[in-house]
Amino acid sequence: MQSSASLTISDLWIERGGNDLCKGLSFSIHPGEAWRVLGGNGTGKTSLLKVIAGISMPLEGEIFYLGQNVTSDRSPLQQEMVYLGHLMGVKSALTVEENLRWYCPERSLEELHNVAKDLGLFPFLASLVKTLSAGQQRRVALARLWLSKKTLWLLDEPFASLDVEGGVMLEVCIQQHLTSGGLVLLSTHQSLSSIIPHDVVLQP
Amino acid sequence: MTYRSFLIYEFLVLWRRKQDVFNALLFFIIVVILFPLGVSAEPAFLAQAASGIIWCGVVLSILISIDHMFKEDYQDGSLEQWIVSGLSLPLLMLLKVMANWVVIILPLLIMMPLLSEMLFMPNTSFWALVLTLLVGTPGLFLIGVMGAALTVSVRQGTMLVMLLILPLYLPVLIFATSAVQAAQSGLPYSGFLAMLLALSLMSLVVSPFMTAMAIKASVSG
Repeated sequence: MQSSASLTISDLWIERGGNDLCKGLSFSIHPGEAWRVLGGNGTGKTSLLKVIAGISMPLEGEIFYLGQNVTSDRSPLQQEMVYLGHLMGVKSALTVEENLRWYCPERSLEELHNVAKDLGLFPFLASLVKTLSAGQQRRVALARLWLSKKTLWLLDEPFASLDVEGGVMLEVCIQQHLTSGGLVLLSTHQSLSSIIPHDVVLQP
Repeated sequence: MTYRSFLIYEFLVLWRRKQDVFNALLFFIIVVILFPLGVSAEPAFLAQAASGIIWCGVVLSILISIDHMFKEDYQDGSLEQWIVSGLSLPLLMLLKVMANWVVIILPLLIMMPLLSEMLFMPNTSFWALVLTLLVGTPGLFLIGVMGAALTVSVRQGTMLVMLLILPLYLPVLIFATSAVQAAQSGLPYSGFLAMLLALSLMSLVVSPFMTAMAIKASVSG
């Protein structure tokens, strides 16, 4: 299957614990587009994002990235993708700065400091992550999004634990990413119709 | 993330969690100290039993350290990040084993002259012991890491890890102690070392891939 879309999901069938979560799910994301995954608790929002990210596999269906079938090997997609799940993947034993440098070693210290300033993390750069609040830890994970420069963002409840200011910053960040031609697929219950007009609705 | 940054920060995390490493080393020292007190402190007996005591201590220390090798990575979501990093997961696993091996085994090797003196180990067998540790312990780590990856999502999985791993540790233990005893008797021990090397190399080929598969299975639920 060939498509002009950057990411195409075709007839995806996902199950968890013997229960079908979604069957025959298809949608395409084009450059500069963001899609929101909607659905009640247990409808498979996280499972869908994990399947696309390559953490788990679908029962059936295909995933295409830039026209290439990546269903059995997600490596080409993962090179261009950043995934932020419920668990943030932030090392509590490391400082904020070490966490960012560990994840994005190719970024300069100046870039790293600028992002930390934008996210209000600059005063905590030398602090161990385990001493930060859940919201601040979420900001560290979001700082990696800024620094990663990857095209596709898969975000699972990215607004969780963030305060109002943090939420606004994330929206601005998503907007900037879309303007630069990036793709975003996120699950959230937050209304973001101004920047995300497309929804994937998962039924129970 | 790159392979280099992964390795550097793995060492850094281990340094910050040095209490875990220290516990494993302390456990080893306690085993070596308590054994003569509990059984016999006679030099001739200890010299004969030294390789067995030291190797049993090493095996138990490795089991302790391997049990929580992936626990924190699983709980904080690092395992998910490694899977989606686009880097080779088997290679990342190999680097993690390497970092853990260096951090646990190097201090053991440094302590070995003192501990072997405590157990009245003859000089002839000391170097055989060091060689068996250098050649055999990578195999123990590589075997153990598969069990740790399989049980990472299981609560209270310590017992399960031990049941899975311990039978696979027996050949390493037997060949290693046999090599030291052969050296002590003035016999050639290169055959035993070759067997240990073969076991470690076989683990090197199989373990990173099996561990990566087990990690994926554990994380995907």
